[in-house]
Amino acid sequence: MAALIRGLRAGRALRGLGGVAVQGTVSLQCSNVRRGFHRAALLRLASDSKSDTSVPPPSYHEVHTAGESSSSSAQGESSEDAQPNTSFQDQSGEHGEDYETEEQLQARILTAALEFVPQHGWTVEAIAAAAETLGLSSASTGMFNNGAGDLVLHFVAQCNAQLAETLAEQNNQVQLGQAEAKKTAEFLKDAVETRLRMLIPYIDTWPQAMSILLLPHNIPDSLKHLSTMVDDIWYYAGDRSTDVNWYTRRAALTGIYNTTELVMVQDSSPDFEETWAFLDNRIKDVVNMANTAKQVQATGEAVVQGLMGAAITLKNLTGMNQRR
Amino acid sequence: MHRFVRPQLMLRDSKQPLLPRAGHLCTNHKSVVSSVRGYVVLPPTSDEEEKAMLHRMMRVDHAGEYGANRIYAGQMAVLGRTQISPLIQEMWDQEKQHLRKFNEILAENRVRPTLLLPLWNIAGFALGAGSALLGKEGAMACTVAVEESISEHYNSQIRTLMEKDPEKYTELLQLIKEFRDDEMEHHDTGLEHDAESVPGYQLMKAIIQVGCKAAIYISERL
Repeated sequence: MAALIRGLRAGRALRGLGGVAVQGTVSLQCSNVRRGFHRAALLRLASDSKSDTSVPPPSYHEVHTAGESSSSSAQGESSEDAQPNTSFQDQSGEHGEDYETEEQLQARILTAALEFVPQHGWTVEAIAAAAETLGLSSASTGMFNNGAGDLVLHFVAQCNAQLAETLAEQNNQVQLGQAEAKKTAEFLKDAVETRLRMLIPYIDTWPQAMSILLLPHNIPDSLKHLSTMVDDIWYYAGDRSTDVNWYTRRAALTGIYNTTELVMVQDSSPDFEETWAFLDNRIKDVVNMANTAKQVQATGEAVVQGLMGAAITLKNLTGMNQRR
Repeated sequence: MHRFVRPQLMLRDSKQPLLPRAGHLCTNHKSVVSSVRGYVVLPPTSDEEEKAMLHRMMRVDHAGEYGANRIYAGQMAVLGRTQISPLIQEMWDQEKQHLRKFNEILAENRVRPTLLLPLWNIAGFALGAGSALLGKEGAMACTVAVEESISEHYNSQIRTLMEKDPEKYTELLQLIKEFRDDEMEHHDTGLEHDAESVPGYQLMKAIIQVGCKAAIYISERL
């Protein structure tokens, strides 16, 4: 917990520093640089772009803007109707084969930035370093309005996608009869462990990432990623409930995942043994609680039946139990 | 009800790997036909908005059928030993069937059920039991009011889907129409069995219908 607070403070300080540094370099040519870079990035990959600046069909603009990500530079781009479109696109609205959307470019940069995280932390410096290795200007960090937040969210989304793929593959194996189905507790444990192991390369800087995810403007996105991940895990674990259990199960797993993550960032045992032991115990707790709840319900039902029996006997004795 | 299943034992075409999303993994020992359909009720879509709309519709329909179930349960709890009981039981069984169908759809499409299910559980039972305490006519009046609300709700959903794309939503439209017809039948049955003769019929009907509208509104959003 203390580590988390320290990380939070460090994250805030770093973010402040990062913001000042970036603004220093970008403030002068701000939107021009962004636009210039954007077009340069497109020109780099598109062929015959100059020859296609003749009047594009009106629907293209809608398609183009609809395909853009929600970053403001894209909206700045699309609102400038007078600017010529520099990407190759034919009448049907299909893009040329080597056209890369802004989203794809951003994804590429962020994926490359992960390499620099151990060195620079979860900051725009990492993104800038990555942009440079890809042959782009370091000012391309201006594409990312959320800076480090974009990087962390991208990483989280990537991990979750990988996890979903792994679970789907395992499920396939079970369906084909090539693997044994795991019991629920074991399945949950393996799924959470798989997902948390993806943090190991970045575990030293992870407190910073966690604090970035807790920033107010990142909370909706981080919650969405978390809930999708937990839903995926339960789905592949076989949960098909359509009552309040749907909520209790996901809440329980969210709690388990978050607490285990916190244990992991301050765990120094070899290969994080303590973390997996902690995870095991928490899952056992949840299973115990579920069993206890079932027992309580069964007992309650038995008691109610006993009471009903007693009531009916009384009614019979007093002659009140007549068919109307 | 224990809704835990192992994602296995899908005895379909032998070597075809079954992606969970496409298949129905419930091993509820019902007839296998219902789980190996050649069609799916909700058309697969990649448009987020459309998916959200369909999920919302299924969520509120599921909540509605769940509530109707509990209402009949409440009525049976009070009137279970009377002459009207076979009729209520029959209507209840049809509602159970509807609920089962929506459970299937929710599970298959990974739709989140509404958070207020425990509330509808209690409220539905209370409404059913409360109206049944007014006698058989009270129970019938409650049935009439609720079924009218539900039919209206299904009708508006049908209208929405027809306006969007009747071709795409054929199976869904068929399903909702079938259920709406069942609910109208219940409504008519209620009227046949002296629903209107309960004292304060109009007031009772109005209150119940306002409650139903509020329930539908909330369940769509929560």
